Amino acid sequence: MANIRKNKTHITKRQWNQYRWAWFMIAPTMIGLLVLNIIPIFQTLYLSFFKSGAFGKGNIFVGLENYKTMFGDQQVWYAVRNTLVYTLGVVPVTIALALLAAVLLNGRVRGKSIYRTIYFIPMIAAPAAVTMVWKWLYNNQYGLINHLLQKIGIGRINWIDDPNIAMISIIIIGVWSSFGYSMVLLLAGLQEIPRDYYEASNIDGASPLKQFFSITLPLVSPTLFFVLVTSIITAMQVFDVIYMMIDVTSPSYDSTVSLVYLFYNNSFKYSNKGYGSAIVMLLLAIIMIITVIQNKLQDKWVNYM
Amino acid sequence: MKKKLVSAALCTAMVAAMTAGGSMSVLAEGKDVTISYACWDSNQADLLRKVADDFEAENPGIKIDIQVSGWDDYWTGLEAAATGGSLPDTFWMHSNNIYYYASNDQLLDLTSYIEDSSDVDLSKFPEGLCQIYSLNDKQYAVPKDYDTIALWYNKTLFDEAGMDYPDETWTWDTLKEAAKKLTKDDGSQYGMCAGLHNQEGYYNFVYQNGGEIVTPDNKSGYAQEATIGGIEEYFSYVAEGLSPEIYDDKARAEAIQNGQCAMGLFGSWNLSGFAANDFMKENFDCAVLPTSNDGGKSSIFNGLGNAIAATTEHPDEAWKWVEYLSSEAGQKKQAELGIAISAYEGTADSWTAAYPEFNVKCYIDMVDYAQIRPYTHQTSVWEDKAYEMLKGAYGGKEDLKEACEKTAAMMDEAIAAEQ
Repeated sequence: MANIRKNKTHITKRQWNQYRWAWFMIAPTMIGLLVLNIIPIFQTLYLSFFKSGAFGKGNIFVGLENYKTMFGDQQVWYAVRNTLVYTLGVVPVTIALALLAAVLLNGRVRGKSIYRTIYFIPMIAAPAAVTMVWKWLYNNQYGLINHLLQKIGIGRINWIDDPNIAMISIIIIGVWSSFGYSMVLLLAGLQEIPRDYYEASNIDGASPLKQFFSITLPLVSPTLFFVLVTSIITAMQVFDVIYMMIDVTSPSYDSTVSLVYLFYNNSFKYSNKGYGSAIVMLLLAIIMIITVIQNKLQDKWVNYM
Repeated sequence: MKKKLVSAALCTAMVAAMTAGGSMSVLAEGKDVTISYACWDSNQADLLRKVADDFEAENPGIKIDIQVSGWDDYWTGLEAAATGGSLPDTFWMHSNNIYYYASNDQLLDLTSYIEDSSDVDLSKFPEGLCQIYSLNDKQYAVPKDYDTIALWYNKTLFDEAGMDYPDETWTWDTLKEAAKKLTKDDGSQYGMCAGLHNQEGYYNFVYQNGGEIVTPDNKSGYAQEATIGGIEEYFSYVAEGLSPEIYDDKARAEAIQNGQCAMGLFGSWNLSGFAANDFMKENFDCAVLPTSNDGGKSSIFNGLGNAIAATTEHPDEAWKWVEYLSSEAGQKKQAELGIAISAYEGTADSWTAAYPEFNVKCYIDMVDYAQIRPYTHQTSVWEDKAYEMLKGAYGGKEDLKEACEKTAAMMDEAIAAEQ
């Protein structure tokens, strides 16, 4: 008895060794997160209370002034709206398409590894390069899309500069480039599901549709939850596509500018890093709220077997 | 995502700067010194490489590393580099930003270097340009070139319509009439390319009309009647369907290079790009800008400078490079290569000779009455915001007078907050 108790409090040399190795192994990730993410978050928060001086020197403390300006700035509210519209446009469509493709590719399809590769390719292309190609496709005068539209008699659509259309153009790029990644994750989730369930239900005479809703969907829900949370966060931070496609001079700027793009412009284009930081803090708050809600709701639909 | 990207990029830049700094001090001990030279024009960078090759041949032990980025990225990157203490050794400076960099001790004071130099003589450069790059009697950059804006026109389209080419007798009315004649109803061809642009656009009309963007007492001139009048005249081309609505900077040149527009305003720095384009060479030529109907002449004049970072580890080698670029021989060579109109007295003709296919002399003819590009201590803060506020009026969706008044208020606020 005494021996056991001693074992509980006393850490053996072997255990020490294990701890040391554990810390050593996660150290690169920890240091990376700390230096690249966590410290900058607090620095950004700190900076958001200052009017930034030139070249990072001579910051002046202004208290909540940046936040006050922010809440009265119409463009910030446009950006909040645009960011949410983009997220609502991209995430459901991406996940629905990705799930559909994943289910189809999980079955017996000829050449499925080719399809998997094709669907995943947009993910490995640089977002800037992807956007440049789309920008040519969308070009009002000489773009391939408008050329085809004219051939079939619909006429030109101003994909980039029309304030009512530009967001749709951006959502299309967003879906196109993120769909493959979600699909691969969901495919991995689907392959975790034991074949036995399907075989048993086959014997009971369940239709494929019934199988999908009663077996596939509940059992893939943990992966689906992960994909949903990460997709929403990624979508809320959209920047590259809009930055590459819509300039501040474009008439569709106000209807497409996202919070991160607005942060970038204020911080780097207009040299107002304090104000930019305040905008990013607003984004952080919105993402946190959404993620907390999602976590609360997960008990209702996520099935951890 | 981008926040991460930016911080990651900054970190890489800093790490790169640290390692570069480390290796440079090794190099200083008898090995080659590399001087970085940052600029924002890829056409010019290719030609500048030739100048750098000559310099390297004359100065063994110094290598020049030319780094190019786009205009917007250039200033974002430069500010990040300055904040992180890793500015390139030498780089281009612009009237928009000189005060911000000079007043915050980012630039090496070149005054004593210039005094000691037998090759650089500031009196040989246009006085206005030297002034742009000096602050409190200290010189922070040596003028590199200057530029003005001219009217480019498609000769072939003028010939087809049986019209006379633009010349110095043209006024706003002549221009408008010509644009009307050259515009086709089906939208396949426009007489004018009046994109939303300040320096290569409405600024010229504002000053021709006697207006101002910045007043002598450092206030916004956007709300002045003459300023609004000039902008209105320029925007009228879009309103009347004589020009396509163009918001993108690059799209303006594309619009004339593929025959969509017959005329457009373009700065002299475009020449190396235009001369490399067969369509431009075959069909286009340039002329002085038309005057306002009252005879008001103007063309926006500006010039770049070569500056050295205050933090450079090799100020002497960096100065040697800037000195070479600013010497009579160096300036002449740059002009002969057609890089830009060299600022050194008497070298402009060499630049003209580099482009015999175009009437580029018109750019130099306009210098006499040209207006220095309006600037304040932190021009870049209000300049692009002005676009944001004017674009509604440009597209015909807002009232121009209101937009100008809003712009003026924003600009006055920005000027008051300048550092």
